[in-house]
Amino acid sequence: MLELRPMLSAIWRNKISALLIALQLALTLAIISNAAVIVGDRADKMKRPTGMAVDDIISLTFLAIPQDYDMSAAVTADMALLREMPGVMDAAPSNQLPLSGSGSASGYHTKPNEEIGGEGANQFQSDSHFINALGMKLVAGRNFTEADMHVVGPNDNYTPSIAIVTQQFADTMYPEGNALGKYFYGGGDDHPIEIVGIVERNLGSWVNWNNAGNVVVFPTLVVGNFKRYVIRAEPGQRDDVLKRVEDVLAERDPRRVFRIETMSHHKARSYAGDNTMVMVLSAVMGLLTFIVALGIIGLTFFWINQRRKQIGVRRALGATRTAISRYFLLENLIIAGTGIALGLAAAQIFNHMMVSSFKQPPLTLPVMLACALILLSVSIVAALVPALRAANISPATATRSV
Amino acid sequence: MFGYYISLALRSIRGTPILSALMIAAIAVGVGAAMTTLTLNHMMSQNPLDRKDSVLYAVQLDGWDPNEAYDSNNQMPWQLTYKDAQALLRSDIPTHQIAMHRTGFTVEKDNSDLRPFTADTRATTRDFFTLFDVPFIYGGTWNADADKSPVQQVVLSKETNDKLFDGENSVGKSISLNGEPFTVVGVIDHWNPVPKVYDLNNGPFNDSEELYIPFGLHRRFEMYSWGNTNGWKNDDSEGYEGFLQSENIWIQYWVQLDTAEQVEQYRDFLTGYIRQQKEQGRFERPLKFGLSHPSEWLVLNEALRDDNRVLGWLSLAFLLVCVVNAVALLLAKFLRKAPEAGVRRALGASRNAVFTQHLIESACIGITGGLFGILLAILGLQSVKHLAMGYIDQLAYMDWQMVLAAIGLAILASLLAGAYPAWRISRTNPSIYLKTQ
Repeated sequence: MLELRPMLSAIWRNKISALLIALQLALTLAIISNAAVIVGDRADKMKRPTGMAVDDIISLTFLAIPQDYDMSAAVTADMALLREMPGVMDAAPSNQLPLSGSGSASGYHTKPNEEIGGEGANQFQSDSHFINALGMKLVAGRNFTEADMHVVGPNDNYTPSIAIVTQQFADTMYPEGNALGKYFYGGGDDHPIEIVGIVERNLGSWVNWNNAGNVVVFPTLVVGNFKRYVIRAEPGQRDDVLKRVEDVLAERDPRRVFRIETMSHHKARSYAGDNTMVMVLSAVMGLLTFIVALGIIGLTFFWINQRRKQIGVRRALGATRTAISRYFLLENLIIAGTGIALGLAAAQIFNHMMVSSFKQPPLTLPVMLACALILLSVSIVAALVPALRAANISPATATRSV
Repeated sequence: MFGYYISLALRSIRGTPILSALMIAAIAVGVGAAMTTLTLNHMMSQNPLDRKDSVLYAVQLDGWDPNEAYDSNNQMPWQLTYKDAQALLRSDIPTHQIAMHRTGFTVEKDNSDLRPFTADTRATTRDFFTLFDVPFIYGGTWNADADKSPVQQVVLSKETNDKLFDGENSVGKSISLNGEPFTVVGVIDHWNPVPKVYDLNNGPFNDSEELYIPFGLHRRFEMYSWGNTNGWKNDDSEGYEGFLQSENIWIQYWVQLDTAEQVEQYRDFLTGYIRQQKEQGRFERPLKFGLSHPSEWLVLNEALRDDNRVLGWLSLAFLLVCVVNAVALLLAKFLRKAPEAGVRRALGASRNAVFTQHLIESACIGITGGLFGILLAILGLQSVKHLAMGYIDQLAYMDWQMVLAAIGLAILASLLAGAYPAWRISRTNPSIYLKTQ
């Protein structure tokens, strides 16, 4: 530790270079800790359970070509075919597809004839196979039966009388946890809808929605000239079923146009923005750390080269190799430590702007300290290579070049 | 002298290959990252209707729920109800005006092996093409009566015409939409504004529609919007007619007002319309309407998202770190060559000459870094395009403006990086170095 004074005066002689290294580290810490907090936030969002067997599900949308199309008969016939198909576990019609980014929602109330407020929920219209076809788990109450089903036109003035809802929606409406058998109402409506069943969860149509996870399912088949199906394959059979499904349906009735996708694809597309953020920011963090490390290596090499003679003299005067390496490592540590201390402050300022201007999550202390620690380790490792090389400078150097 | 300095610079760069490579890499990575995000942000914040920005207006009316605003920012609804759109169409104040929405049809060509397909379709009044300056290759728009009564005519996009008729003049020919015969009256040239400013409902970077059909066909085909339909009122309307007369919003409305007088008159017209509707018990919210130029419309609709701004700023900060990095390395490199500079100074070179020489060396490093940076940006854009899964396919390329900007940014970065080290070395006292030689 006796070296501290000469070390500081050596840094002072190279103050601009030292300052540049410290500045780089400070900016880097500010950037990567803010990037890290965004990456963490998005990763958590993407990790939310969907409540569905996403990997096994195929979604199908078709548009009938004839204007007057008997949709009800078509759905009955298609469902019979699909549910019998080898490799298919179950299938159900639906008005919309979960995780697809396209859906419909309404506000609901616990009392009749309410006009203001209400809890938004994503609504699906399907049948008794919906729960199984999506791989959801019924946690309370009962499934729909064939007797519950109603066939209605797209603009019929019809409100269903029963619904299956997600646990999340049930808890929002009835926080005491006794939602089963209770009623809810549309805005300004006095028609009661009874909660007959509760499923564990379903993330619904829109992953970015504030109310994602509020889902209600009605036992209704809306006829019209287009329809959607969800088809759940046996595990591992999805791609095989996907290849056959259009032929099977087109053979029964070719007068329609199909669009067939997997639910994994819908999910990936819905999260594409978040995934882009995670990947781009991770790349930025990695590259930045790498560049800073290269800068430290380059500059430490330069300093060592500049001081070859002095190192030789010190070695000749009896300093050990370890002492030489330690000197350069310590010198680097002082500069890096200063930079990182500055960086902690800069990170807070950056984050303040991110939160206030761009609605990004606030920076937490553990994330910031973890980033600081990583950056400090990287700078030590970067200085290690040149510092070890410096120890190899022979004492003879001192005598040779004078 | 300039040529000599360049040859000196090249020799110096070759003399320290590792240090030079590090600096080039730092500038290349910084420019690459910055240009990737700046290109995306530049494309996202373009205004494709720039030329007519001052005369075009998106129309909003606040006929929403008296109890709650349309959204938490107290924004008016983005779209209009069908009946309000029909009422506005009766005004003769605007030079051109359009009511429209996106929908979809199945398409078949008779006596053809082509498989039926689904086409994105825009149901619109006939002025769409004049208002947005959409060029026709063949034919033109439909007659005015087609916007009021069901006339089965269609305008094809160039791409659809290529697919159905191999790009030949198809005016007068017939295709089947949802199984019903339609006559082709026009084919437009390739037209795909980015962002899709005229209808931002389904995402600002979607493609334009493949077919255009008259606005008079709603009842005939019971068309719904393939976009957003929002409602607030629980009325007892039945059937499709009930839907058309409901308070659901799903129609986009644009007007062209060429003079200040027209704007004034149109404002009075809208005020009068809302007042009159208030008397009938509609529009219970405070009297409010919106007329936004395309440029304002893009900002209101947040075509450029916060995430993109964050990436833009972060990548500029990234570039800053790379520049600081390059300053440190250049300083190291130049100081090592200080003896050479000392000799030049002693032989009579002015400080300015030494400064220029070293600045040129920095610029050479910067330009090389910039060129690699452009390559990296192209790679970066490809990866982002891949990650975005089709949302930004039209954006992820560099136009000549952005290539120039990239080169400019690289030179600027390298000059910024080189200025201090070059100045520093031009100030060194030659005598010190002469002594040690």
